[in-house]
Amino acid sequence: MSSQKESTVRTLMVALLVCLVCSVFVAGAAVALKPTQVDNRLLDKQRSILAIAGLGDPGMSSSQVKEMFKGTVSAKLVDLQTGKFSDARDPLTFDPLKASKDPKLSSVLPGAEDIASIKRMERYSTVYVVEKNGELDTLIMPVRGYGLWSTLYGFIAVKGDLNTVVGMGFYQHAETPGLGGEVDNPKWKGQWPGKTLFDEDGKLAVQIVKGGIDAQSPQAVHQVDGLAGATLTSKGVDNLLNFWLGENGFGPFIANLRAGEA
Amino acid sequence: MGIRAFLDKIEHNFEKGGRYEKWYALYEAVDTFFYRPGSVTKTTAHVRDGIDLKRMMITVWLCTFPAMFFGMWNTGYQANLIFAGNPELLSAQEGWRFALIGSLAGFDPNSLWDNFIQGAAWFLPVYAVTFIVGGFWEVLFASIRKHEVNEGFFVTSVLFALILPPSIPLWQVALGISFGVVIGKEVFGGTGKNFLNPALTGRAFLFFAYPAQMSGDAVWTVVDGFSGATSLGLAAAGGIDNVIGHGISWMDAFVGTMHGSLGETSTLAIMIGGLVLLITKIAAWRIVAGTMLGMIGLSLLFNAIGSSSNPMFAMPWHWHLVVGGFAFGMFFMATDPVSASMTNTGKWIFGALIGVMVVLIRVVNPAFPEGMMLAILFANLFAPLIDHFVVQANIKRRLARNV
Amino acid sequence: MSQPTIKEVLINPIFNNNPIGLQILGICSALAVTSNLKTALVMSIALTLVTAFSNLFISMVRSQIPSSIRMIVQMVIIASLVIVVDQVLKAYAFSLSKQLSVFVGLIITNCIVMGRAEAFAMQNPPVLSFFDGIGNGLGYSAMLIVLGIVRELFGAGKLMGFEIIPVINDGGWYQPNGLLLLPPSAFFLIGLFIWALRSWKKDQVEQPSFKIAPQVSNKEAY
Repeated sequence: MSSQKESTVRTLMVALLVCLVCSVFVAGAAVALKPTQVDNRLLDKQRSILAIAGLGDPGMSSSQVKEMFKGTVSAKLVDLQTGKFSDARDPLTFDPLKASKDPKLSSVLPGAEDIASIKRMERYSTVYVVEKNGELDTLIMPVRGYGLWSTLYGFIAVKGDLNTVVGMGFYQHAETPGLGGEVDNPKWKGQWPGKTLFDEDGKLAVQIVKGGIDAQSPQAVHQVDGLAGATLTSKGVDNLLNFWLGENGFGPFIANLRAGEA
Repeated sequence: MGIRAFLDKIEHNFEKGGRYEKWYALYEAVDTFFYRPGSVTKTTAHVRDGIDLKRMMITVWLCTFPAMFFGMWNTGYQANLIFAGNPELLSAQEGWRFALIGSLAGFDPNSLWDNFIQGAAWFLPVYAVTFIVGGFWEVLFASIRKHEVNEGFFVTSVLFALILPPSIPLWQVALGISFGVVIGKEVFGGTGKNFLNPALTGRAFLFFAYPAQMSGDAVWTVVDGFSGATSLGLAAAGGIDNVIGHGISWMDAFVGTMHGSLGETSTLAIMIGGLVLLITKIAAWRIVAGTMLGMIGLSLLFNAIGSSSNPMFAMPWHWHLVVGGFAFGMFFMATDPVSASMTNTGKWIFGALIGVMVVLIRVVNPAFPEGMMLAILFANLFAPLIDHFVVQANIKRRLARNV
Repeated sequence: MSQPTIKEVLINPIFNNNPIGLQILGICSALAVTSNLKTALVMSIALTLVTAFSNLFISMVRSQIPSSIRMIVQMVIIASLVIVVDQVLKAYAFSLSKQLSVFVGLIITNCIVMGRAEAFAMQNPPVLSFFDGIGNGLGYSAMLIVLGIVRELFGAGKLMGFEIIPVINDGGWYQPNGLLLLPPSAFFLIGLFIWALRSWKKDQVEQPSFKIAPQVSNKEAY
């Protein structure tokens, strides 16, 4: 018996059989669960976009999220070089993060311009638009940049005037819990709504300041208090906003949009 | 001889079978605190030396006094300076300390007495809590494990209290010293078997557990609602120019009139105590020299390389010496005989490793402006390994000579 | 060899032969996923299921596996199960699987699963092996859940995301201990638990690897 069990042919047979059964099993599970997974990933993203745009409430069920997203938000592709809407790709399936790693769809940022330390920059990005009565109500733009330990991924939402912040938040980061991790603190995030990005001359003025805001100062409307004890994370957030709202990011797009040329 | 007679009278209660057998460790500690131990070496191994662990530890403890007294004065001085500049802050302060200070002294930064009382009101509670809570663990373990309470704790407690920011909440002090004594020392079997410096272990615990109270700009002064960066914090933000721009000259930093941990600011006061340690050969001069050389070497290298975006690269070595906890760590922490390397060559390497790591962390790591604590703990981990290789090299050399 | 009973294989690994506490296996994931209770629970369930079913399947085919490739066969079966678990989590608990990231996949390399397959399932009948897997999974789970509770409660003042102790940043009184949210804290905690466990069950204490010889002679040593 035992010699027969150890024979080469039998060994090969067992190996083949085990592999076959297992692969069928795994493939079956993967295929059967794929639609639910895609659905869930999308739902996760939609939920965070809605939360940042201040729509709905966090306890919404998945069907409510989908309903609301479908009804109010539409994804649009933006060509970051020309600063105009583009239909080169399908905005629903286009993934800007994946594109930033694809040499065909992205370029290396020179060190001096790369203030957010993201290294590569995609050509196209997806923004999310909320329209009410045919007019732009909220524009949601993806932002990312390096904090202290990790890249922070998030969105910033602005009102139809393309200046007033509706909300800002990050859906992924790995900053120090309790310090930089406080970017997730609702209290800190609560400072953002109502701030304005640009000053009267149209220059980017939003900034994070350390050690309290002087409410009297004319700059106060652009300023957000930094995170206590997390200088570098605060600086990172400041940098990534300056980058993504500036010349190399969505700056031209915002300018075009305001002029009605996007 | 009243004390001696009293101790002898109650001794039988603490011996085996006595009523308070469990408390022997405590009795022993009190006894040997006042008197030389009566026991003599019973085995053939014999060292003839007037100094023992107890006397050694007491000397270290005494050597921290210049830094401690200066620290108390400076803590008060810094606080009173702020009050003098911003009188509105004074009325905004709350707490029992201010009531106490108000009844004993004023808030005049030019008065030695006022400054001293102000500082003492912050330092003494920290030290008392350290001593009581740490002492509790020490006695508890000594009683259960039947070993003696060790005077090493005198040193651990004072060192721990001196490296904390002045505004630290007292419950955190208690938690920190508990961690330092229990995890840093007792779990490994008590004094002599710990491979980390217990005081630094406790501080590291607080540093990672409560970063908001242990780092940043707001914790280095006792004045609530006032932000004052340490010299290292300033240097990290804008290099030496920024430090000098904030009115801290090299001499100020050397004497220690700046914000910082309770007893770490004054390189001068630390050096006075440190030199006594070196002269009495309690601290190993090789470790101190190695640390200095490592620090000077790497900072010179960084000076030569230079960097356009990181101002810390340009920080000269004599500034590294006087800011942050470098001097204190070098004289009092790195030289801890238990957790440092034992061999002579090993001490050089151990010291150099600390010196190099400090500068590396200070200059290159963006998250931590100060690197002394982490550098020493890091080197502590390597001390046994360094010794191992030194011993192996010695064995090899001797074998080669004799074969 | 007398066979252990189902009750024994179920209960023993929890205190008497805890995979983390005594065998010191599966530490890596125990450090990584216990910063909050939710991920610790999901990880516990995932590992328990994988261990139980891999034990069951391996035990079912144990007499057929040629010994020259038995490790590989075990790996294939375990890996398949882990992938399925990972896929299910991605489909039904996306945000949790994002937090667990690679650690679900790394169950494949978790020594507990491999260890039970090789040490137990290869010699015992399927049903018994299945319960052995559940038992060891429970042992692992017990440690993870305790870690998760301690770390989340004292590190963030919450349990399962619900506020238990109001923290200062949200206007409460508790100052959360940030160290507990960092992986090294689990090391200290596991160490303390092992200490407590071995003070309670003295038979788990290891023999010292060497003894310091008494000095010179017995008479002199004291």
